Amino acid sequence: MSKSMKFQVLLCCSVFLFCGFSRYEKPKNTEGTVILKFNNLFNKEALDFEKAYTNAHGEKVKFTLLNYFISNIKLTKEDGSTYAVPQDSSYFLVKQSDPASKEITLNHIPSGKYSALTFTIGVDSLRNTMGIGSRTGALDVGATAKGMYWVWNSGYIFFKLEGTSPAAPEKQKNVFNYHIGGFGGYRSKTMNNIKTRTLAFKPVVVSNRKGPVIDINVEIDHFFDQVNPIKIAEKSSVMWGEFSTKISENYVSIFNLGNVSSK
Amino acid sequence: MFKHKKVLISLCISAYLAISAFQISNIQRTFFKPEIPSNFPPPVYELKANPLTEEGIELGRTLFYDPILSSDGSTSCGSCHQQFAAFAHQDHPMSHGVDNQFGRRNALPLFNLLFSKTFFWDGGVHSLDFSPLNALENEVELNEQLDNVLKKLNDSEEYRDKFKKAFGVSEITSKVFLQSLTQFMATLVSANSRYDKFIRNEGGLLTAEEKEGLELFEQKCSSCHATGLFTDGSFRNNGVPNNYRFDKGREEITLNASDRGKYKVPSLRNIEFTAPYMHDGSISSLEKVLDHYTSGVEQSATLDPLLKQNNQPGLAITDPEKKKIIAFLMTLSDREFITDKRFSEPELFLNTPKPNEKNHSHTNNR
Ligand code: HEC
Ligand code: HEC
Repeated sequence: MSKSMKFQVLLCCSVFLFCGFSRYEKPKNTEGTVILKFNNLFNKEALDFEKAYTNAHGEKVKFTLLNYFISNIKLTKEDGSTYAVPQDSSYFLVKQSDPASKEITLNHIPSGKYSALTFTIGVDSLRNTMGIGSRTGALDVGATAKGMYWVWNSGYIFFKLEGTSPAAPEKQKNVFNYHIGGFGGYRSKTMNNIKTRTLAFKPVVVSNRKGPVIDINVEIDHFFDQVNPIKIAEKSSVMWGEFSTKISENYVSIFNLGNVSSK
Repeated sequence: MFKHKKVLISLCISAYLAISAFQISNIQRTFFKPEIPSNFPPPVYELKANPLTEEGIELGRTLFYDPILSSDGSTSCGSCHQQFAAFAHQDHPMSHGVDNQFGRRNALPLFNLLFSKTFFWDGGVHSLDFSPLNALENEVELNEQLDNVLKKLNDSEEYRDKFKKAFGVSEITSKVFLQSLTQFMATLVSANSRYDKFIRNEGGLLTAEEKEGLELFEQKCSSCHATGLFTDGSFRNNGVPNNYRFDKGREEITLNASDRGKYKVPSLRNIEFTAPYMHDGSISSLEKVLDHYTSGVEQSATLDPLLKQNNQPGLAITDPEKKKIIAFLMTLSDREFITDKRFSEPELFLNTPKPNEKNHSHTNNR
């Protein structure tokens, strides 16, 4: 068979196949969609990189970068049974600078009444140890996840907050940066900053006609004082090190439930 | 109307798919099975996830030697990992890269990487796929950013073509970029020294002195420099003086004080070619390495117990024994490996002029 004939046969076959698929591929009426909206806030107002704020310790701050990974999303039904979004479509990188990234659409959620949402802030240990072939989409270190990976100490940065403050050292150009990661180590055990958050709400219906929009408010003002006081004057640059655990203990509980509406 | 649109769209999609199916089926790739030496432990790297092909390996080699990977076009992987030095950086205690800035550690030789559990002196990287990133994004090494390298490669028709041939992709992503570097590095297997031919009964002979050296080595050294790889892959403190101000070794990764000053036990294969020695390049010759083990081992909280006998740091080795051990170490030189044309700089880069050397400036990176 000549190459062009092969091509024609292939073309015909796939045209038939696809006509068939498009006719019969209707959304299943046993599943629906859930939308998660991440609202980064400071003092209950939308976070704005142009604005100056004051944190709980009286330190003036301006932010220049805020990124965090959301992964391993799970939904719990009223009866206690759970649905885990399949691993391969359960990694998201939320960036303050990219409004589209703040809205996560979860398709193919089985119909039912759901009353809780669980997610990881960061990336699970297993994925942190996989080969490059499993690091696509939000996890692509050469594209979306640029700057969210430690190359000398393999692993993702889970939560990254940067900005300027007069409280940060002048020789550091008043810049503060918090890069928090740590998945527990591979060949030897080490620090684990993987944090999981569960938010409960009044039961909402998911069906092929109806799906909830769940707002998650991320209260960046409390990044500095939720559990442990984080003073820029004392710790203006925190990356790989013991202190980072104190920061992850703070940020896990700044993810709080906002509005839950139906669409 | 709506129905028609759908049909039209699916027609387009299927035409596109058919074309790509046609193109993929048209790619000729030759799979390559690396030879696993019979005196080696099984490989660690998952070859199934990244099957080696002649095309992928050749592309990896080209990338390895192409200074396009550095920010100023001055440096390639091959600048620090030189074949004649078994892919270490000869005579450079601290490897230098872009702007001739110095890093803080001695370059490791590159061979038998398929069999490594961790990479770098502190084992901070646990997949071969990710090991190039460390050099790439290090300010004093290649000083580049992965996304920018990908952009430069995607701008090159030649590279797009090579990647299409090797991986069947039309866009160069981090996945295929890193996989091709891995493919080349995976082929760097060094297992044809005179010692190997002796141990595998392939006609290699050791002199009486070398055999005595081997015996002494097995008594004194092979609990750490173990197996056919001449390393057990563990992290240990062998007493190289270290004030821990610039380098805490494995502790930097595990944050565990009991790992202070521990480094990955290096292989001793091709040791003749990889001077200077140790993570900081502080020992210039094998004679001095042996002197280190008898009289230079520094006592510390994390010093390996094997190097402390009767509460005295160091090993008991006489001068004639040292000579024999060194004679044995010389049998680990694999000249086929350091001259193998398949691993050498491709012709196309040999004549490109290198930018002038600039002033040396010492910096501690990280
Ligand atoms: C400026 C010099 C320099 C350049 C350029 C360089 N390296 Fe390295 N390489 C080093 C040094 C130094 C080490 C050891 C560093 C350490 O352990 O902290 C190393 C270690 C490695 C290792 C780990 C080896 C082992 O056994 O653990 C690999 C793999 C590697 N380099 C691959 C590459 C690749 C691929 C490139 C090109 C993308 C490259 N290197 C470019 C200096 C360099
Ligand atoms: C307790 C484990 C241990 C024993 C026993 C040991 N070594 Fe080592 N060796 C190491 C470690 C760890 C390093 C790397 C240390 C560093 O870089 O700071 C090393 C480094 C070396 C190096 C430098 C390699 C390079 O590429 O820079 C040589 C050569 C060497 N050892 C030879 C020997 C010989 C010969 C013996 C026996 C007399 C011996 N070693 C015994 C753990 C050991």
